[in-house]
Amino acid sequence: MTMRDDYERWLDSTEAQVAKRPERQTEFRTTSEIPVERLYLPEHGVADDEYATKLGLPGEFPYTRGIQPTMYRTRFWTMRQYAGFGSAEETNARFRYLLEQGQTGLSTAFDLPTQIGYDADHPFSKGEVGKVGVSISSRLDMELLLRDIPLADVSTSMTINAPASVLLAMYLVVAESTGVPWSKLSGTIQNDILKEYVARGTYIYPPKPSMRLITDIFSYCASEVPNWNTISISGYHIREAGSTAVQEIAFTLSNAIAYVQAALDKGLKIDDFAPRLSFFFNAHNDFFEEIAKFRAARRMWAHIMKERFGAKNPKSLQLRFHTQTGGSTLTAQQPDNNVVRVTVQALAAVLGGTQSLHTNSRDEALALPTESSARIALRTQQILAYENHVGDTVDPLGGSYFLESLTSDLEARATQYIEHIDALGGAVAAIEQGYMQKEIHHAAYRTQLEIENGTQTVVGVNKFTSEEEEAPEILRVNPELGRIQTERLAKLRGERAVEPWRQSLDELHRAATATDNLMPFIVQAVRNYATVGEICDTLRDVFGEYRPPLY
Amino acid sequence: MANPIRVLVAKPGLDGHDRGALVVAQGLRDEGMEVIYTGLRQTPDQIAAVAVQEDVACVGLSSLSGAHMDLFPEVVQALRARGAGDILVIGGGVIPEQDIPLLKQSGIAEIFTPGSSIHGMAEYIRQHVAKASVLPPLTGRIDHIGIAVDSIAKSIAFYTEHLGLPLVHEETIPDDHVKVAFLQAGETFLELLEPLSEASAVATFLKKRGPGMHHIAYEVDSVEEALLRAQNAGYRLLDEKPRRGGHGKLIGFVHPAASNGVLTEYCQRIKEHAQ
Repeated sequence: MTMRDDYERWLDSTEAQVAKRPERQTEFRTTSEIPVERLYLPEHGVADDEYATKLGLPGEFPYTRGIQPTMYRTRFWTMRQYAGFGSAEETNARFRYLLEQGQTGLSTAFDLPTQIGYDADHPFSKGEVGKVGVSISSRLDMELLLRDIPLADVSTSMTINAPASVLLAMYLVVAESTGVPWSKLSGTIQNDILKEYVARGTYIYPPKPSMRLITDIFSYCASEVPNWNTISISGYHIREAGSTAVQEIAFTLSNAIAYVQAALDKGLKIDDFAPRLSFFFNAHNDFFEEIAKFRAARRMWAHIMKERFGAKNPKSLQLRFHTQTGGSTLTAQQPDNNVVRVTVQALAAVLGGTQSLHTNSRDEALALPTESSARIALRTQQILAYENHVGDTVDPLGGSYFLESLTSDLEARATQYIEHIDALGGAVAAIEQGYMQKEIHHAAYRTQLEIENGTQTVVGVNKFTSEEEEAPEILRVNPELGRIQTERLAKLRGERAVEPWRQSLDELHRAATATDNLMPFIVQAVRNYATVGEICDTLRDVFGEYRPPLY
Repeated sequence: MANPIRVLVAKPGLDGHDRGALVVAQGLRDEGMEVIYTGLRQTPDQIAAVAVQEDVACVGLSSLSGAHMDLFPEVVQALRARGAGDILVIGGGVIPEQDIPLLKQSGIAEIFTPGSSIHGMAEYIRQHVAKASVLPPLTGRIDHIGIAVDSIAKSIAFYTEHLGLPLVHEETIPDDHVKVAFLQAGETFLELLEPLSEASAVATFLKKRGPGMHHIAYEVDSVEEALLRAQNAGYRLLDEKPRRGGHGKLIGFVHPAASNGVLTEYCQRIKEHAQ
């Protein structure tokens, strides 16, 4: 009897049983609406003759099973908790605390004024200074932020986009002033403006000059800061805005294609900058779909880089990514339950082969995390790594009939989306037409309706609710910080040498109207104590500001 | 069928997370309301201007950046400054439980935190916009108009002899270093104020501006509540708490900067004096 015959027999008897005692649902689907069958068989997985093209070996094309041959057997993923609030001094203290607790990389959150290129004393900054991240207006703040941190040994990730060039310049200038050569620096700037228009909202300039700033950074770092990851192309925020897993892959890779194309159009060579591209994904609730998502994204990127762009360097083909657990899955109700959600999401990221990981804190649906919540979040990763043996073999779920089937389904659906975006004229055009935004919004609204009508369960919110809940202790940012930062800025503006400061901003202005690479001018302005707001205003003057269409 | 309720969904401040705002906007539309969305990065003043221009009955504010304690009350103040204090203001986002009572005191009617249902929000809006105003009117009557004079004796003839108003009450208020005379003009009184020393605020007023209208006093049910409401609306107070004034009343003053250069007094009759 063949396995097929065996299966048919099993199916018949099972159907008879189901007729008597129905399954929980008439159909099962992933969050991307991919049907999930009752059972997966070898035929749904990867056939022996497809193995080499679909999976390959770890560290080899198409990298489905991982980008390194040994993965976590050599070194665990980097445990990189995103932190930042209040003043540079407070964040510096939190950084040093996290490093002491065994964290292996830094990740900086900036406040909204910094992210949108306003100094702390700007009227629009009112109420926002130090709230969602650290307030950085000048190189003096950056010096305080990085005080006593060994820049040559620690890799630093900075979640900064529209003014990424300015904050990177500040990091470089601080390294310079403390005698650390730029070749020793490693880290990442997010620098992904396209998803800001789509999902995150901290844009400044219109798409075209924004793309120029990004490619200027690619080119500058290729020669000056060779170990810096010049972009972290982010699906995270797209997913947080409500997209499905398929949309997360498709829109992220479409945006990535647009950056690569922009750099090529500028005359850069693919293998000069592509090895420094990195990615950032979400780890959401649908456990197997998430693991499959990471694997599908790796396979797709390898093909895109090889076939579409003709990259030769293996590093150009490898999709390296950071993962953060899904913030929007956290509930304000029964916040301790979030520890469990985060654990399962983190496990999905690890089984999906992430290079680094941020685990959210249980209280993030309420406020910024307290120190004790942040510690539990880090400990969650350490338990996964050191107690659960999940990293002892490479791609442990590879070959699972279900997982391989799901990986191929996600790939097929995401590829269709990318083809559609190509037909619209690429990611920039699709964003300008509001296409990605509308697709995400529809998915977000569907999720909301499903939660309200009970199709989707959120424990503690629409099922298993508790009446009595104690409000947990939360972190408060010093409300005086806006005033303190304003005074600090007034002092800086009063004490710096005016002539070199003025001259470097004038030169930046001239360069922006021409076609020079802007990075050297921005670095020079930072050296002369120009602030984030002053540099961004200089560029606003030339580039204008982005005004999103309302649709 | 009644006209649909018009709602403005707004994002004050720099926060770019608008998944919630967009989902609520669409959800309220599906509940039959007319919804306008401001887009990102609006100042409180811009939001109030759009609310008035679009004649909405409700403003829904969303912030996930922690700036709600600064920005939400400013929207309420900006609406009141435009005479649109009757617009229902509600809010949502990442807002700690502990902040909600303070926001409510500042005039935000309700806060919907993560996990709230849109249908619940819509029901809330329907029930609460029906009442024209969230707060009842503070006053319906001018109690008296205060006029600063150098000397009551020298000034009073105009009122008593020429206008024929009866002098109903005279009193010295040592705490304020003034002597006052009340004249009845229908349902309202005129209060002549004469300084008794240089320490009197009335003396300063006379020195700066000369004799003339000094303040308008509005009758209220509770001076304490009136002062609290003025403070919540962002008006500067001269008195934090009600105090004893002339003519057997509790009084409290609001800084003239709050009311176009005219000093404002709230006054409340005290029962025990109504003998």
